[in-house]
Amino acid sequence: MSRLDCEQALDHLQDYLKRELTPELVLEVRVHLDRCRDCAGYARFEERFLQMLETRARREICPKELRARILAALRAEAGGS
Amino acid sequence: MAEPSAPGRSFDEEALPHLDTLYRVALRLTADPTLAEDLVQDTMLKAYRSWRQYRPGTNARGWLLTILRNTFINDYRRRKHEPVAMDLEAVEPHALYRSIQETDPEGSFFSQIVDAKVLEAIDALAPEFREVLALSDIEGLSYGEIAESLQIPVGTVKSRLFRARRQLQAVLYTHAVEMGYIKPRETAP
Repeated sequence: MSRLDCEQALDHLQDYLKRELTPELVLEVRVHLDRCRDCAGYARFEERFLQMLETRARREICPKELRARILAALRAEAGGS
Repeated sequence: MAEPSAPGRSFDEEALPHLDTLYRVALRLTADPTLAEDLVQDTMLKAYRSWRQYRPGTNARGWLLTILRNTFINDYRRRKHEPVAMDLEAVEPHALYRSIQETDPEGSFFSQIVDAKVLEAIDALAPEFREVLALSDIEGLSYGEIAESLQIPVGTVKSRLFRARRQLQAVLYTHAVEMGYIKPRETAP
């Protein structure tokens, strides 16, 4: 039985989305979201936002030239100075 | 002659897989691709030289990110002036959602915004905000890992993150309205 009202559920929402809640609280938040369309809509919005952020920003990767430069510097370092 | 006791192979195995993460976080910290490259290279060399201090099997990513951060604070921060922190009060958690609830409840306007604009918006956040956002929401570190790396309480990590996201959403929303990806809500009389 969930005792969370909307305000309490939303207080936990960020932690819920980041998987930082205890299993008991996860359950309570889920129960609330199953019953409250308004909070469920908001939760979906936040979740999509976080997914968008992760996908977009993780497309940037270490450039090949930099990787090669670092490897060369490490080899030089290992070769003894 | 202080040659490290050939940390060679295990350093490569443990540290190199995190180059992409280090590069992205360096980009967010410096907001400058050239500085970011130098910062990553300096970080890797420092990490290599102090590799003996690393305890195998512990959190290599966190260890490297801490070196990156300290290097940035000590050697880089003063080289380039910080972008002006956005003078935007953190909006209410719901404010944005309320204004798109009827027209675009899933926030699909986000997907119309180009990557470069998203990154530009992140880099316009105040430095302490974009740092936690990068570590948490982009690289996926836990609150605990971030708190340890930044030497701040978990509560501070959470409040910074919360405000960082609100600001970012507000900026992206404004951009989406300007670009016509989403219609602004009519102000009710």
